[in-house]
Amino acid sequence: MSTNIDKLHDDHHHTPSGIMRWITTTNHKDIGSMYLWFSLIMFFVGGLMALVIRAELFQPGLQLVVPGFFNQMTTMHALVMIFGAVMPAFVGLANWQLPIMIGAPDMALPRLNNWSFWILPFAFTMMLSTLFFGSGGPAAGWTLYPPLSLQGGDSFPFTILSIHMLGLSSILGAINVIATILNMRAPGMTLMKMPIFVWTWLITAFLLIASMPVLAGAVTMLLTDKFFGTMFFTASGGGDPAMFQHIFWFFGHPEVYILILPAFGIVSTIIPAFSRKRLFGYDSMVYATASIALLSFIVWAHHMFTVGMPLAGEIFFMFTTMLIAIPTGVKVFNWVATMWKGSMTFETPMLFALAFIVLFTIGGFSGLMLAMVPADFQYHDTYFVVAHFHYVLVPGAVFAIMAAVYYWLPKWTGKMYNEGLGKLHFWLTTIFVNLTFFPMHFVGLAGMPRRIPDYAVQFADFNAIASVGAFGFGLSQLLFVYILFNTLKKDVTAEDKVWEGAEGLEWTLPSPPPYHSFEEAPKVD
Amino acid sequence: MSNFKKTYFSLIFFTIFMFSFSYMLVPLYDIFCEITGLNGKTNQTKVIAVNENPVERFVTVKFTSTVANSAPFTFEPIDREMIVQVGKINNTFYTLTNNTKTIKHATASPSVVPHEDAEYFKKIECFCFSQQQINGLETKELPLQFIIDNELPNDTRTLILSYTMFNTTDQLGSN
Repeated sequence: MSTNIDKLHDDHHHTPSGIMRWITTTNHKDIGSMYLWFSLIMFFVGGLMALVIRAELFQPGLQLVVPGFFNQMTTMHALVMIFGAVMPAFVGLANWQLPIMIGAPDMALPRLNNWSFWILPFAFTMMLSTLFFGSGGPAAGWTLYPPLSLQGGDSFPFTILSIHMLGLSSILGAINVIATILNMRAPGMTLMKMPIFVWTWLITAFLLIASMPVLAGAVTMLLTDKFFGTMFFTASGGGDPAMFQHIFWFFGHPEVYILILPAFGIVSTIIPAFSRKRLFGYDSMVYATASIALLSFIVWAHHMFTVGMPLAGEIFFMFTTMLIAIPTGVKVFNWVATMWKGSMTFETPMLFALAFIVLFTIGGFSGLMLAMVPADFQYHDTYFVVAHFHYVLVPGAVFAIMAAVYYWLPKWTGKMYNEGLGKLHFWLTTIFVNLTFFPMHFVGLAGMPRRIPDYAVQFADFNAIASVGAFGFGLSQLLFVYILFNTLKKDVTAEDKVWEGAEGLEWTLPSPPPYHSFEEAPKVD
Repeated sequence: MSNFKKTYFSLIFFTIFMFSFSYMLVPLYDIFCEITGLNGKTNQTKVIAVNENPVERFVTVKFTSTVANSAPFTFEPIDREMIVQVGKINNTFYTLTNNTKTIKHATASPSVVPHEDAEYFKKIECFCFSQQQINGLETKELPLQFIIDNELPNDTRTLILSYTMFNTTDQLGSN
């Protein structure tokens, strides 16, 4: 592998200085960093909304906010966290990592890349501004089910338009990722030699292109139903409100895997590095990811078992849903087999990756419980569902993103974070995340419905515990921000190959890598 | 560069295709439901040729009604329950009262439970086929003529037909 990139060469690019550098940049590293910072800010915005929810639910009765505002918080928390925090974070990681992992100088479509990032701040400004409207923000849940969502106030068209913009941004990002991976790999890097993170992102990008346009179509139908007299979901005009749920979840379930497949890729990268072994079953990992992606298109109606489907439909969706446990199980066993008899060390990225495996598996199992139709009739729309998807999204997707940041931060900045503080952050986060979400299983099984500002007194104790956990989790993330700034203040000292067991082209570059990564393609054997 | 362009344009095409596909899903779901009789959709069209072929079998048909979104209507079945002979034409009606003093338009949307038997519930004459115009404070009788198909599975003893009445005055404009 040729790695002698002249560090002086780094200064030869011409970029405007100050704010214009960031507005006009087409550099994958700049755009990746902007995505990641944006995602961090949105993580705190969405987190604050979650804390409003948890503060209100600390005890039964209505104390802090009115129910209407509570509903706006649950709706916005979901929209912000999904479209503002998790998805941009993964796109940011893709921007930073894909070119330096496949030996490319930059992304394939750099200007498009700039555009797809800069859509985001505008979309979210518009979406968040609805909270200051007289009639408030969207409050019908992020799933926007009609007829309720059509009865919202002035925020409705703003929400729809910002969802359109977010969709556009993701689709452009995905096109860029696919074009980069398919056309810009270093000579000798065949598809089956690609790093697993690249593979998972390639599949995720296809999921994005296949599902985001369907969301765009669904919300457009809502918009025309409300303002242009169409009757897609209006029963009086021959439409069907349940139709929206079908179309929405045809997007929605692939979306769930968009939020987790890159996380699988990250964990599959980090576990081998700190076990000092190769990834066990690379091929099966690739095939498992692809089968999860394919299955995601035929399971959508398991989100709507109680809508009144015929038995044949319920059984079909139950079995296809359970089928997903097989490729997912392949992944979990592969990770465990990778660690088996490895020389493991437990640096912060590894801790997050290990917690991911354990806690994501808990979320996976509660998902299997929800997949069972007769059981789901009880669990549907309870806190058990809330516990399930937070277990797969917070200790799942979010932990993987944190693991990735700790793992690659020294490479990106050339500076080593404080390992002690990193571990402290990990333990605080892990303890509080379980304190927050584990009791939700119990109140859910006992019958507490989701999306309500008040609840029966028998749920009080577990809700109080969850609220304490949520505030602990939120405050722990301030430590994460401190660690980031503390790292950025340091001098460049990190080695090129930061982690002893790490493999891949990115570690052949200096830390931090030059502005244009591989001007001459490295050779991969 | 041609490779780039090929990837790029095929992906753009795929995106546009998926957007159109979301609209195609609407008729696709409908066709699927119609073929299979899932979703409790009864035949929305009139059954024109009816062969009465009564058999010695009786089922209970229950009638229910709902007024959507607190529309200013009173809407009730005249018979809450009928015991009908399979394969024989039956008649009943619903009454619709306009509780306001202005002309209103209304549409009813039918549904049959159990869903899988919806296809055997055949409507010959139904007020759900058309828009109803009703004057202020008027009460109208809305006729319904139906036949239960001989093919109705043997284990079905009760069918429930429910109608939801919608106020469509605003949707039609000011006529």
